Amino acid sequence: MKDIMLVCSAGMSTSMLVVKMEKAAQAKGIEVNIFAVSEGEAKNHYDKIGALLLGPQVRYLKSKMDKALQPFGVPVDVINSIHYGTLNGEAVLDAALALME
Amino acid sequence: MDEMIIFGLITSSGSAKSHAMEAIQHAKGGQFDQAKVSLESAEKDLAEAHKIQTGLIQSEAKGDAVEVSILLIHAQDHLMNAIMLKDLAREFVDLYEKVGS
Repeated sequence: MKDIMLVCSAGMSTSMLVVKMEKAAQAKGIEVNIFAVSEGEAKNHYDKIGALLLGPQVRYLKSKMDKALQPFGVPVDVINSIHYGTLNGEAVLDAALALME
Repeated sequence: MDEMIIFGLITSSGSAKSHAMEAIQHAKGGQFDQAKVSLESAEKDLAEAHKIQTGLIQSEAKGDAVEVSILLIHAQDHLMNAIMLKDLAREFVDLYEKVGS
């Protein structure tokens, strides 16, 4: 299972979502590595990840990220605002897993 | 302090920021109608953020002290950033329109 990377402006609020996603993964018995980084740090991980999820606050980066990740074959998506706002780790995890299929 | 309330603030502020950035991107590409739609969406998200913010201020005024956490400060950062960017995005859209005509 490849890593799931979450990106937001500073990587701070997203790291709280990571904790919830890890808990959801544990409950489902799925082994997956999930981490959050800031926009600037994201490019250091392109070659090692299975999916990239953008926080709603950096949704405007979607087309730029699509282009950057295309050579790596890494899918990019924006986290649903409602899932993000309610810290719904399970829903975001499911979306990420579906993206990687 | 309920972290869900704070996350609501981060999400609406963050989404407003994204819409403001998208407005600038649309204007840059000469799509002024779409730019204006994005600006309206930014306004809508900011109104939502403002509602949450007002709720926090009111509960503090009533004596229900709001616990100040790093996360709450971070949410305020997001809000301030979004308000400023929305105002600037409006100027940028006007500017692109003027330069392009």
